[in-house]
Amino acid sequence: MIWLTLGLMTLIIFISRYLFLEPKLPLKLNKSTLQFLSYAAPAVLTAIIAPLVFVKEHALYISIHNSYLVGAIIACLLAYFTRNTLLTVVVSMGIFFFIL
Amino acid sequence: MSTLTQPETYVAQSNHKSFWQGVIATLPLCIAVIPWGILAGSYAIEVGLTSLESQAMSAIVFAGAAQLVALGMIKAGIGLTSILLTTLLITSRHLLYSMALRKDISPLPLKWRLSLGFLLTDELFAIVTTRKTPNKQHTFDRWYALGGGLSFYVFWNIATLIGIIAGQAIPNMEEWGLDFAIASTFIALIIPMIKAKSILVCVLVSLVGSVVCSVLNIEAGLLISALIGMACGTLYAQMTGEAS
Repeated sequence: MIWLTLGLMTLIIFISRYLFLEPKLPLKLNKSTLQFLSYAAPAVLTAIIAPLVFVKEHALYISIHNSYLVGAIIACLLAYFTRNTLLTVVVSMGIFFFIL
Repeated sequence: MSTLTQPETYVAQSNHKSFWQGVIATLPLCIAVIPWGILAGSYAIEVGLTSLESQAMSAIVFAGAAQLVALGMIKAGIGLTSILLTTLLITSRHLLYSMALRKDISPLPLKWRLSLGFLLTDELFAIVTTRKTPNKQHTFDRWYALGGGLSFYVFWNIATLIGIIAGQAIPNMEEWGLDFAIASTFIALIIPMIKAKSILVCVLVSLVGSVVCSVLNIEAGLLISALIGMACGTLYAQMTGEAS
């Protein structure tokens, strides 16, 4: 059952990644669509992590005791002022795991 | 597209260099994904998968968010159909990525399309779309993308292996907050992307949308809020005449 689950998940995920890379698929993207798609990375990445940071058990959790939120704010400040990916992730994770 | 029009000799010389540039550009993300990979491995063991199944999950499924959610559902005894529908919702964002990269990757030979398609994660998409070149022009380079994608794949699987070994010795590692790694990594990616007001609008709308969806327990929240965020960013740019 686990192998079947893994196999079908692999199939679904691969198709979603590959589908529009297939040249035989008849699809022309106009300029507006391409502009719309240029926002995909910031929009999707934000939508993945925002609930992790702001929500706990389906309730808004804005508090100094929410270590995910405090850690995320520290990461934002580090990313903004240093513009260094490695430094941002290493320092913010260090603070999160050892202090918060 | 420039690599397609360059003379073959030049392409041949620069392949190796591009590949390693991709590896180096992805290195911070490879290091950042380690805690998350450890979580994926240890949680799979916790849920009751064998070591081989746990490693295979990272090796063939290769999708962090979908793996962790599926494991949670397996643990809760939820059926295969629900697991697959949820996988489809979580992975639907990749449709946006493949659409955005269509102009760059669809002209490539099949083996390139299949490899880059398989390796197309959030991280790889971010790396190839924000690549900084000396002339500040966005140019897609297949070798750069392959270097980035492969190194990320290797790190993800090594981290999973560490998690599998650690998970057998230490129980309840999923309570350590290892998932903060993904928040930290994505923040480090998102902040430098905000180079125009329309992108800030997009990010804020997506943030509020996904939080509201999560509170309301809407399963497709990720996709819905990302699409609304993208639409708001596009509208803002078009209405204010912002140069793209």
